[in-house]
Amino acid sequence: MRRTPTNFETWGVTVVAVLILIVLPGLNAFTPADSFLHVSDFSIGLYGKYLCYAVLAISVDLLWGYTGLLSLGQALFFSLGGYMMGMYLMRMIGDLGQYHQPIPDFLVFLGWSSLPPFWKPFSSFPFALMMIFLLPGLLSLVFGFLAFRSRIRGVYFSILTQALTYAAAILFFRNDLLLGGNNGFTDFKFILGYDLRNPATSRALYLATGLLLLGTYLLCRWLTTTKFGKIQRAIRDSENRVLFSGYATSSFKLFVFVLSSLIAALAGALFVPQVGIINPSEMWPDKSLEAVVWVAVGGRGTLVGPVIGAVAVNWLKSWATRAYPDLRLFFLGALFILVVLILPGGLVSLPARIHGWWKHFRRPPEPAPAGAKSAAQPSTLNTQLPP
Amino acid sequence: MKHSRLLKSVALVLLGVLFAGHALAAPSIAPEESALRQKFIRTLLSTGAQQQALLGELADSGSKLVRDLLTSWTRGEIYLYQDPVTSTTVPLLLEDQQDANGKARGIRIDNGLYLTDASGKELRFTSDDLNTADTDMRLRSTIQQAFDMLSLADPDVDARQNAVIKLGYSQKLQYLPILQARLTKETNAGVKRALYEGIALLQLSTSDSSVRIGATQKLANLGSIGSLDTLRQLAANKTTDPAVARAATNAVEAIERHITWVNFFGTLFHSLSLGSILLVVALGLAITFGLMGIINMAHGEMIAVGAYTTYLVENIFGDGITLSPFGYSFTLPGLHASGWFYQSYFIFAIPLSFLTAALTGLALERSVIRFLYRRPLESLLATWGVSLILQQLFRRIFGANNVQVNSPTWLLGHFAVNDILFGYNRIFVIVFAVVIVFGTWLLLTKTPLGLFIRAVMQNRDMAACMGVRTNRVNMLTFAFGSGLAGLAGAFLSQIGNVGPSLGQSYIVDSFMTVVVGGVGNLAGTVYSALGIGTADETLQQLLGSPVMGKIIVLCAIILFLQWKPGGLFAARSRNLDN
Repeated sequence: MRRTPTNFETWGVTVVAVLILIVLPGLNAFTPADSFLHVSDFSIGLYGKYLCYAVLAISVDLLWGYTGLLSLGQALFFSLGGYMMGMYLMRMIGDLGQYHQPIPDFLVFLGWSSLPPFWKPFSSFPFALMMIFLLPGLLSLVFGFLAFRSRIRGVYFSILTQALTYAAAILFFRNDLLLGGNNGFTDFKFILGYDLRNPATSRALYLATGLLLLGTYLLCRWLTTTKFGKIQRAIRDSENRVLFSGYATSSFKLFVFVLSSLIAALAGALFVPQVGIINPSEMWPDKSLEAVVWVAVGGRGTLVGPVIGAVAVNWLKSWATRAYPDLRLFFLGALFILVVLILPGGLVSLPARIHGWWKHFRRPPEPAPAGAKSAAQPSTLNTQLPP
Repeated sequence: MKHSRLLKSVALVLLGVLFAGHALAAPSIAPEESALRQKFIRTLLSTGAQQQALLGELADSGSKLVRDLLTSWTRGEIYLYQDPVTSTTVPLLLEDQQDANGKARGIRIDNGLYLTDASGKELRFTSDDLNTADTDMRLRSTIQQAFDMLSLADPDVDARQNAVIKLGYSQKLQYLPILQARLTKETNAGVKRALYEGIALLQLSTSDSSVRIGATQKLANLGSIGSLDTLRQLAANKTTDPAVARAATNAVEAIERHITWVNFFGTLFHSLSLGSILLVVALGLAITFGLMGIINMAHGEMIAVGAYTTYLVENIFGDGITLSPFGYSFTLPGLHASGWFYQSYFIFAIPLSFLTAALTGLALERSVIRFLYRRPLESLLATWGVSLILQQLFRRIFGANNVQVNSPTWLLGHFAVNDILFGYNRIFVIVFAVVIVFGTWLLLTKTPLGLFIRAVMQNRDMAACMGVRTNRVNMLTFAFGSGLAGLAGAFLSQIGNVGPSLGQSYIVDSFMTVVVGGVGNLAGTVYSALGIGTADETLQQLLGSPVMGKIIVLCAIILFLQWKPGGLFAARSRNLDN
């Protein structure tokens, strides 16, 4: 088990951070459009989206890879953050909508002539920001408290979180919730007074996402190396032993659950202005599963893995959608199956695996020492099994 | 115009069939029909009061022939031919088929034969050659009344009942004697009840207060839901006699009580059937997830496999089907069955659905799941991948759109007991669920395979040590669970459309059902399916919105698990990790 990040990881992350935070936006801003070095505005938008997904993936990994809680409702917190941001952005449209009314178009369509009371404070950005933390935080606090108190764990926790996000999704599909129903929010114009169609604004949003990713990474890296992180992993590997050692495991789990929901909510809040739309299909159970798959593909129990997985799977998805629209789901499905069956440690375990195979190949007669073998194996599997 | 032609041809076909049938045997037709034809001609040629009386007699026959002839009459399609020899008037219809001169053969109404002259040569006319049997306003309204009475005398019970209800709600007093007259002749209990109701409804419009009060009491006793509006209006109307208004108010209350009961039992029945649907869908999952611990996200696709199998079987019994997955087109030939043989396709589809889904499950177990028995959370990811692949496969084979499966007629329709409707398909699913649960119980507790299954599920390693071929048992168990999902699919294809994402809509519900029931416990699944079904249906009734009901049920389940984290019937174990 790699408890502390190696030098190699530190260097790699630094290089990638520089690339993402300085080189890419720099190439977008300062090179002429016809230069082959130029990064188009479209690409910046796309990468911004990928980075949001990467943050979401880290939040899933913090729960699953480090605490052993497979949450299938992470997309719910992501979309709740998105919805709070979306409400602010809807208010910023002002009367520039289709109906030229001072209230959002869908409310006009539903026959409202003035703003419903709970919409009013969303004109203020600080309030919206507060709500981005408050709503997902409170929901995860209440749900987590109930779930961990009654010791719901393993697959039951997964299924329960899935039920939660499913219930929320069908609730948000309703028009009388006054949150846009089926269509959600779209047609955003301004954020903090800046025009969203302006490339500089997208660049700033992209930079903010990059910083959020870096911050999340550093926070989680710090957290997982502290004593807290140790207990977290101990809970993953054998919760009962930790419990009997005198730790209130449910409080630890609750803290991680709320923290990861907040991270997901922030990612969602940055996702919405960059993508320009938020609707209930974002919280459909599928989306949460997808996020889990990114982590599995990248490699759970590491912090780089989820980022690699989120970017790789989404890149593969958009490539396959363009190249083989009919076969896209075959690719994705096959990828999930193969990763689970052949590469349980994800992409990040690939070098160690190849190294192991190579060593094995070099020295076939000698049985590998037990320690060496387990080092080559991905050591972060959750092997708890309800008999 | 188009309708008139249509009706005319219907009448002609009818006459033609009669003609064809009797031309070979004898020129005469069945005596009672001949009598009706003669009576019709007498009606046609008579006038005034006599005509009215004859029309009434005709209407009492309830005969389809009379209806068709009356229709032709009001449409001016009956012509009168003066026989030059006997100088009698022969009423006839003109055939649709015209010759080159626009002339058509005439069909005699009295015997359904073609009109011939003395030498036996068929005569041909254009419509201008002949006089039509005219109708005036009064006659037409009498004929219209005759139509109503004809419906009341219809040999089909349902048609008779509908006619009674229609007349009852018309609130036209002129129908009162008609209904009362009918009541003396009616023998069917259901229609009699409808007649009482209709008569009472019409009596509400009379001027005699005592009759009206009697009518309200009658309606209250009958529990006539349809008369509620009329009674309410009567009670609220300021101009009605206070005594009548009071009686009407009492009747409204009585009927509302009746409605509460009807709704209660209706909801109970619906809950039972919804619970049965959930049970049928979740039972397979109770095996694969509950017993084996595999989180099979492709369970929904197993349901879809069963549903698509039913679709294929239906098409093979019908006209065949051409599928073109991945650019290769192939045709499954159809049997072109009809009648009861076609209707029985579902009987064949049920075992086939089980078989296809079980084989799919078998392949899935062998290729993916057998590597994941010790990693339940990862089985979730891999089977989700399988689910994506299968969904896309359905899209490629059957198209992205939903396909329609025609239900056999014996699953359509319903019967009513005391205003509570019992749909045949709902009754079917209840029986279906009982049979499946019973079969599963038999398999698990009374067969050697069941013994092995339970042993392997309780402790895989120990069972292996005792010589149980766990690999084989795992394979068969998973195939059996998938087969049960296929059965669910076969049934679901009868209550809705079949599409690539059919299974997706049931996956969350079925997982919840299994978790609430207590994993590893089939009885728990039965109770929780019925419980969730009842809660869902009741909340839908109370809130009037399926979505809010569902949300509340989901939240209630989350809270319920606070109280009983292991579900209704938690498996008792000393193992801490259980």
